[in-house]
Amino acid sequence: MTNGLVLAILGAALAALLAGIGSAKGVGLVGEAAAGVVSVDPSKFSKVLILQLLPGTQGLYGLLTAILMLSRIGVIGGNAAELTVSQGWGFFIAALPIAVVGLISAIFQGKTAAAGVGITAKKPEHNGKGIIMSAMVETYAILALLVSILLIYNINI
Amino acid sequence: MSTIKYANAVAAIRAMENSLLSRSDLDQLINAATKSERDNIVASKRGAEEFTLESVWEIIRGYAPDCRELEILLYKNDFHNLKAALKSMIAGKEPQGYYIRPTNLNLDALYPALAAKEYEQLPEHIRDTAAEAYELLTRTLDGQLADSLADTACMRAMQKAAEKSGSEFMKKYAQLTTVCADIKTAYRCSRMKKQRSFIETAVCGSDELDRDSLVRASLGGSEGLLSFLENTSFGDAARLLAESPAKFEKWCDDVIMELAETARMEAFGADPLAAYFIAAEAELKNLRIISVCKESGTDRDIITERMRKLYV
Repeated sequence: MTNGLVLAILGAALAALLAGIGSAKGVGLVGEAAAGVVSVDPSKFSKVLILQLLPGTQGLYGLLTAILMLSRIGVIGGNAAELTVSQGWGFFIAALPIAVVGLISAIFQGKTAAAGVGITAKKPEHNGKGIIMSAMVETYAILALLVSILLIYNINI
Repeated sequence: MSTIKYANAVAAIRAMENSLLSRSDLDQLINAATKSERDNIVASKRGAEEFTLESVWEIIRGYAPDCRELEILLYKNDFHNLKAALKSMIAGKEPQGYYIRPTNLNLDALYPALAAKEYEQLPEHIRDTAAEAYELLTRTLDGQLADSLADTACMRAMQKAAEKSGSEFMKKYAQLTTVCADIKTAYRCSRMKKQRSFIETAVCGSDELDRDSLVRASLGGSEGLLSFLENTSFGDAARLLAESPAKFEKWCDDVIMELAETARMEAFGADPLAAYFIAAEAELKNLRIISVCKESGTDRDIITERMRKLYV
């Protein structure tokens, strides 16, 4: 296994790891808020569940990035490429957008969605507004995912 | 403590706020002819669940990850209970009937601790006051003076605890509570032509209203006090106090509610919990006013005028 390949695998691991940590934090925070509402009014479970799901997507984007990267370098399929150090750095850097933005945006999306749970608790008919506000944060995770994918597929092996 | 820790508690409180009475509910209650009609209106809003300040406090305590900051809300009750225990001791009566709940004190241990002068068994915020008030009361047998000492100590303890908590909401709450109590006390002292030494014991002072100025103004009689207040940011309060003490009491409750309203937009932190407690206090007070006024046949317009501001 070359040093380049190790760097690329490290990048893939970071993408899944950091975005996953962010999502776990975000989903956990909204879950706490949602549990508070459901403990008082169980009928609001389905509405708050949607909000709780929102910060979970960054973890999926991280996973997707990791799979695409591992597939591109041949680790998935058992035919790993002999990567140079500069190619390895290229893959490592390609993973960073979704790893870092995924981590931060998931936490912030969790905070926004937890505040949205408050809207659902007081005015259930305005639940959609809480969802839209939380979804706005998602934009930046999608942009980061896009950049990571573009980079992964534009590195010459 | 991170405000995020309160996510669960704030969300639960938001859901509970739906069962607080609205303005239209109050109008219905005021228009209701009988007590059973009023009970039905309240029951339709929140079911048969018990709604007392004690039950509200228990709920808040159950949800809040840390109650230390919120305990300031109960300081007034704590010091009332201290006064009740001291007076019961002097009068040789059982204090249980005079206690107010909820409180931060262990009420079963309060009286025995005072009787044995074991002040270290009491919470820190009332410990010194308990010793001081006991000594003053046994030495002078002047209940009013001991009350004043405890009331002032209560305001100081609130301000100190609020400062320590670092919460802007609690700092403002302590300041407003002190201002209201100080104006009320200074007005009473000026009407009763109390001596400087008494007024100095009875008035606490705050950043909003300086103690020495207030003492000087109240020594000049009620007219002097009101004209002094006119030149402060509490001119409205002074005008209402000149009209009637009941209107001033309403103003005091309303400014605290205005503070509580600022927490309505907060998604995290202890402030929404404190605001809910204040809202419950106001609601119970409104229900009491309606009940008493209805029993005494008070006019609907007067009852409406006396209603405290609502949180929802």
